[in-house]
Amino acid sequence: MTSANSPIDTFTEWCGKLTAWATLAMMLCTCSVVVARYLFGSGSIALQETVLYLHAFAFMLGTAFTLKRGGHVRVDIFYRHFSPRRRALVDALGTVFFLLPTCGLIFWLSVDYVSNSWAMSEHSAESAGLPWVYLLKSLLLVMPTLLLLQGIAEFLKSFTLLRSPANTSFTAAK
Amino acid sequence: MIEFLPLFMFLAVCLVILLGYPVAFSLAGIALIFAAFGTAIGHFDMAFLQALPNRLYGTMINQTLVAIPLFVLMGIMLEKSRLAEDLLNNMAQLFGKVRGGLGISVVMVGALLAASTGIVGATVVTMGLMSLPTMLKRGYNPAFAAGTICATGTLGQIIPPSIALVLLGDILSTAYAQAQLSIGIFAPKTVSVGDLFMGAVIPGLILVGCYCAYIGFYARLRPEGAPAADEQKSVETVALLSSLAPPMLLIIAVLGSILSGIATPTEAAGVGAFGASLLALVRRQLSLQRLQEVLEGTVEVTAMVFMILIGAAIFSLVFRGFGGEELVTSMFASIPGGAVGATLAVMVVIFILGFILDFIEITFVVVPIVGPALLAMGVDPIWLGIMIAVNLQTSFLTPPFGFALFYLRGVAPKEVLTSDIYRGVMPYIAIQLGVLLLLALWPNLVTWLPGKMQ
Repeated sequence: MTSANSPIDTFTEWCGKLTAWATLAMMLCTCSVVVARYLFGSGSIALQETVLYLHAFAFMLGTAFTLKRGGHVRVDIFYRHFSPRRRALVDALGTVFFLLPTCGLIFWLSVDYVSNSWAMSEHSAESAGLPWVYLLKSLLLVMPTLLLLQGIAEFLKSFTLLRSPANTSFTAAK
Repeated sequence: MIEFLPLFMFLAVCLVILLGYPVAFSLAGIALIFAAFGTAIGHFDMAFLQALPNRLYGTMINQTLVAIPLFVLMGIMLEKSRLAEDLLNNMAQLFGKVRGGLGISVVMVGALLAASTGIVGATVVTMGLMSLPTMLKRGYNPAFAAGTICATGTLGQIIPPSIALVLLGDILSTAYAQAQLSIGIFAPKTVSVGDLFMGAVIPGLILVGCYCAYIGFYARLRPEGAPAADEQKSVETVALLSSLAPPMLLIIAVLGSILSGIATPTEAAGVGAFGASLLALVRRQLSLQRLQEVLEGTVEVTAMVFMILIGAAIFSLVFRGFGGEELVTSMFASIPGGAVGATLAVMVVIFILGFILDFIEITFVVVPIVGPALLAMGVDPIWLGIMIAVNLQTSFLTPPFGFALFYLRGVAPKEVLTSDIYRGVMPYIAIQLGVLLLLALWPNLVTWLPGKMQ
């Protein structure tokens, strides 16, 4: 491969490494909730909601990272026997017809939903909860955007492999 | 013809998934293509999709689902710090020269873990990360190992405090009250989540017993596929116990605190992950670099699980928009055989739906539709709940779409072929179907214990 990492790849990787620490923070916050409740007899709704925010942050921002790392599950009973070119073809078509429209749809449907939340500076339903529901809901726009970007990067990789003359491409492994 | 569109959509997904593009995006993508086609011919209203942002937001703030990354973190931490490997090895040593001892240990550790999470994805992922490498290293047949792990992972459906049973209990109690009112009983009996837990105890034990019996049988029949621990040296009891105790205590504490009602699954998961991290730290297995690896692994697995949930949510919205629910209901109505025929039909449909929907969606979509009708026919609610849970467990194991198989595929090393996983689960599917039949013939296996407790 000539250009191993596009700028998008680097960006996605960086996002993933950042979100990874959110899971550690989740663990620590959950433990704090437990300690607060059983040692001091006080439940903190704000802290519980922090865990929810971190959770949403991790899995919404992590999807693009997982795509880059190839972590989304495939039924690879045939795929694993395909030549690299055919795999690239499946990936390119899947990206164009499945991944990109899905990102577009989630983004498009969420615009009103999120802007309504911003318009009223939506606060948690609990009075003691966090006042940043509109930021949380904004993840519905951030997630498809990051996924779309990484989807384009993945498509370019597949496309480059498909465009390269057959003799320089990898021959079918095994 | 047009009313069968939801079925065609289902078939299309089945075929397209086989091409090998990630399942989550295929589910969503196919649904969108059908929605666009349906809109073009005036048979689909895009307004159905308007519910999507709110459903996704519901997933984001779902307290129960928070347990997933925490349990995954605990599992990956146990794996990377070699704690789990030691636990499994030590348990296998406890089982001594028994062939297949490691397999039985996996079922035991898995049943404990399944009970502590109650979430199929998290259990399969955790067990897959923990035990598959160990089993392969020991020379276990990859198909046998993978099948054992998948089957063990689905035990979380049935062993209390299964989240599936909590949701089912909630829906069934409403359906039961509705059913009794409809046939003129105005002082209805009730069914609670606790009843369902009690009802699940005996079937759960039967399943674990059957799994272990099968492993013993397999090890006897094909010793090379499930070898005994080869080190013949006598085990030092003290060393064994000291390595066995901390992780065992951790798992028992997690399980115990949920069962006794001290902690929610999410809290127990958080404390469990913290405990696993402390153990790794004490054992000097936790460098900053390894921590980063563990956390990145956690994000990858969590995002994978949730992307499937998001894909399935989009698919089920479009399925409903095309009148898929009505289609299914009208098909029920034309089935002969009274309560038995109707129950059988419901079981078959739930089994098939289990290929694409997880238990949360099935519980909320299918049970409210079919539950009141079945219960009004005289079906016992506790029995129905347990049958649905065991049925879904079987569905999650069945190739090529079982959820458990996808989750294991996601964490299994490349040397384990997907066809190995498929072959490995076959005997367990047979066990599951056998137990289903057993419960169908002798409903007392389910209803006896809850009856005793009242």
